[in-house]
Amino acid sequence: MAKAQLFITCLADQFYTGTLQNMTRLLEELGVELIFPPEQTCCGQPLYNNGFEDRTREVARNFLRAFSHTDAPIVGPSGSCASMIKHHYPDLFPVGTPEHNLANEIAARTHEFTDYLVNVLKVTDVGAVYPHKVTYHASCHYLREMGLKTEAKSLLSNVKGLEFITLNEEDTCCGFGGAFTVTFPEVSRLLMEKKVGNIIASQADTVVMCEPGCLMNVAGGLYKAGSNIRAMHIIDLLAER
Amino acid sequence: MSEPHSYIGFEEYSQRIPQSIPAAVQQATSRFVGLRAARVAEMPHWEQLRQLGSDIRLHTIENLDYYLTKLEINVQAAGGIVHWAATAGDARQIVLQIAKEHDVKLAVKSKSMATEEIELNHALEEAGIEALETDLGEYIIQLAGTGPSHIIVPAVHLKKEEIASLFSEKLKIQAPADPAVLARIARETLREKFLNAEMGITGANFLVAETGTLVIVTNEGNGRMCSTMPDLHVAVVGIDKVIPDWETLTVFLKLLARSATGQKISTYTQFITGPRKEEGEFGPKEFHLVLLDNGRSKILQDSVGREIFKCIRCGACANVCPVYKHVGGFAYGWFISGPIGAIFAPQMLGTRVARELPYASTLCGACADVCPVKIPIPKILRHLRKRVAEGDVVSGPAMATSIRATAGLVSLALAWNWIYRTGTRLLPSIMGVFLKDGWIPSAPYPLSRWTSVRPLPRFNAQFRSWWKNKLGKKDTSR
Amino acid sequence: MTYSVIESIRNSLGRGTGTPLLRRPEIFPARQPESVDVEIDQFLNEVNKLSGVGKHITTQEIAERLKELVCSENIHKATLWDTDLLKQLGIEDLLRETGVELISPNASKQEMELCDLGITECDYLLPETGTIVLRSSNKKPRGVSLLPRIHLAIVIPQQLRADLHQVFAEAKDAHYLVFVTGPSRTADIELTVTLGVHGPKELYVWMLKGSI
Repeated sequence: MAKAQLFITCLADQFYTGTLQNMTRLLEELGVELIFPPEQTCCGQPLYNNGFEDRTREVARNFLRAFSHTDAPIVGPSGSCASMIKHHYPDLFPVGTPEHNLANEIAARTHEFTDYLVNVLKVTDVGAVYPHKVTYHASCHYLREMGLKTEAKSLLSNVKGLEFITLNEEDTCCGFGGAFTVTFPEVSRLLMEKKVGNIIASQADTVVMCEPGCLMNVAGGLYKAGSNIRAMHIIDLLAER
Repeated sequence: MSEPHSYIGFEEYSQRIPQSIPAAVQQATSRFVGLRAARVAEMPHWEQLRQLGSDIRLHTIENLDYYLTKLEINVQAAGGIVHWAATAGDARQIVLQIAKEHDVKLAVKSKSMATEEIELNHALEEAGIEALETDLGEYIIQLAGTGPSHIIVPAVHLKKEEIASLFSEKLKIQAPADPAVLARIARETLREKFLNAEMGITGANFLVAETGTLVIVTNEGNGRMCSTMPDLHVAVVGIDKVIPDWETLTVFLKLLARSATGQKISTYTQFITGPRKEEGEFGPKEFHLVLLDNGRSKILQDSVGREIFKCIRCGACANVCPVYKHVGGFAYGWFISGPIGAIFAPQMLGTRVARELPYASTLCGACADVCPVKIPIPKILRHLRKRVAEGDVVSGPAMATSIRATAGLVSLALAWNWIYRTGTRLLPSIMGVFLKDGWIPSAPYPLSRWTSVRPLPRFNAQFRSWWKNKLGKKDTSR
Repeated sequence: MTYSVIESIRNSLGRGTGTPLLRRPEIFPARQPESVDVEIDQFLNEVNKLSGVGKHITTQEIAERLKELVCSENIHKATLWDTDLLKQLGIEDLLRETGVELISPNASKQEMELCDLGITECDYLLPETGTIVLRSSNKKPRGVSLLPRIHLAIVIPQQLRADLHQVFAEAKDAHYLVFVTGPSRTADIELTVTLGVHGPKELYVWMLKGSI
């Protein structure tokens, strides 16, 4: 039986309990035995991306400790968080040290959710039913750092009743950029409004994405714009029956 | 490091940009992005070319002293005169000295970012020399007295009506709002200047060490005019522009125009090796090459930061940058803008002056995808953010102590998981007071910076307790 | 003073004067040319795509074409390269016959500025981009292809080269080279493409048929 450790991410932990519950259900339905290491907090990306590399190390150590009780793969609902572990954790520790080796080992078995489903479990149809017009926002780190160009769309293509509408400027940044929203809020606003404008113009009734961060930004923006368009994490859409 | 520069307040500048600028900039960027994509689609070896471009530039940077020495020998062998400018001030001095020796009253300039960097025009004017920009876009912004809004099309933010009134006012003529006529007016006005100028000033796109050759790329022909008509040609070029030989030049000529404007090659590419050989052939009698350091040699110590010197100034990064597209060039506070500006300025001007620039990015990575020489821009942005936030061997931290202290507290809460978990349990009730219709439309500082733009979702952390219950049920069901 | 910059670079890179140069990366092989006819077609197509006027003509047609050009473009003064092919074709005489005043290619820039037409040959041709490559000398002055508002280049297939690599291998010793690809242009004003900003507004390229 496949085993996996749940990496819930700080944002989903705070704001998207439902998504995490759906992730749990979906993986269990696919026969994965799940472990949830409770000492996990955050991958440290907000600190790392803002230049606080020394500070990040302390947070990374907590992550490495939390997830090294077992060697089961680690699965999370965020491309940027998974990328932090996979691509940046090894850089935090000097080559040759035990911490560096541990970071490498953990990096190798960390997956973003759609990547785990499609490329590890080899599943592209989870039996979801969602008869709506859906458009997709390709999150930056999910797309570019993790290189996940087709996974989300493969999964969406097998959702029954789903009518896919291509979003204009699908892969243009939504303006979340982590702390960018608080370092340059007005510029973030411009990017967010552009994305929201494109979503509304698509005439979809749902916009789906694979990042809790983007979701917070876009959902808030749609609400502010008075739009009824539903913003969802792909996990929640895939859980629809 | 170059001379003291005033603080670059990206946040402040980005809020003072008139609406017309991003709109105009976006027309330029989408045009160039489309054209570039078409050219790239025609090139099956594009990725190979990019990798080669990157490898060659890195190799050159890592052996820069060798190639510059070779360049100097070859320029001199061709009859050119080489000057070394350690600082911007030295460069200005050298050019002024040359101008003085030749009794220069009028200089015509073709587009050169190195001359903007050293603020040469201002120095020439103070010395009583008329220094005219001849690239149409540069000519327009020189008349308007503003900076460039885009690397390739610096005056794109101005409408034809505005340019028409600018010409009418400054040239004392009746100029209609018709681009073709305005270009013709510029052609006629500048013709006379090209023919009468005592000195032509250019930059260079590349310096070929193998033969001491300057490569100048333009579409208008002003580069040819400036380096052909006056008897004196002075080129001011950054030391990072050198490349090993002509073979390697083929790679960059295939990458440059396609990345910049989506042309296969620019209209005119000149290869200049020294002054003219015969009197009747046209061309300068005397050729001077001013090699500009201005802080570059020091930056070479930084193996991550020095990848900025791979840059071939195509502007492709700016064309895809979502931040740049919404603010335009002025917000970056220096002559070089967009993603490359955000990593160039903090290194050249120092992080005290340019501490905001490395943060003026969402790290989306679109720039790295299109850079023809594979500069890892997001990596360098993070590298410079570390310099600002925590300091490194180059300089101490430049970030406000209060923010650094906050980061310290945050990292504590995230590293000591019991603090985080306690906080997570308490936040829903603490933040609950701000709830309205299931959202938090207004939160206290610093979260107010988020909510000023869009509401926060409800703090609703229940997964951990739900999981605990689930485990409990599993146990009891056994 | 001269070497303080070099010294600074060496310091930063940790290199000494004797530090060997690492081998620079190899370039991948140059493009192979197709048949001459295909290359000629591609070349002329590219010239035309850029708003140049590329034509494939016989030497017999030159006289008439020249006359057409002089009339339609209102040519009063012209200048040309002092080179063999143009002499062989008798271009100077043909121009005089149509009433055009000839200015010496070695004239002053002010005089040449008054020319409407500049005629050159070329040294190399690049079909992929429709580029003509010009060297510079007393007999091939730079001003001829730059100052007049119309530039006519009379070229032959033997000048075709497959790729930049070949041109560079042959011409890197030149003290001056210019690649001309289409007429002068700009998009600086509201991105509207305008021709003839500082360089010639029109570029005519006549590729000659048959053996010369």
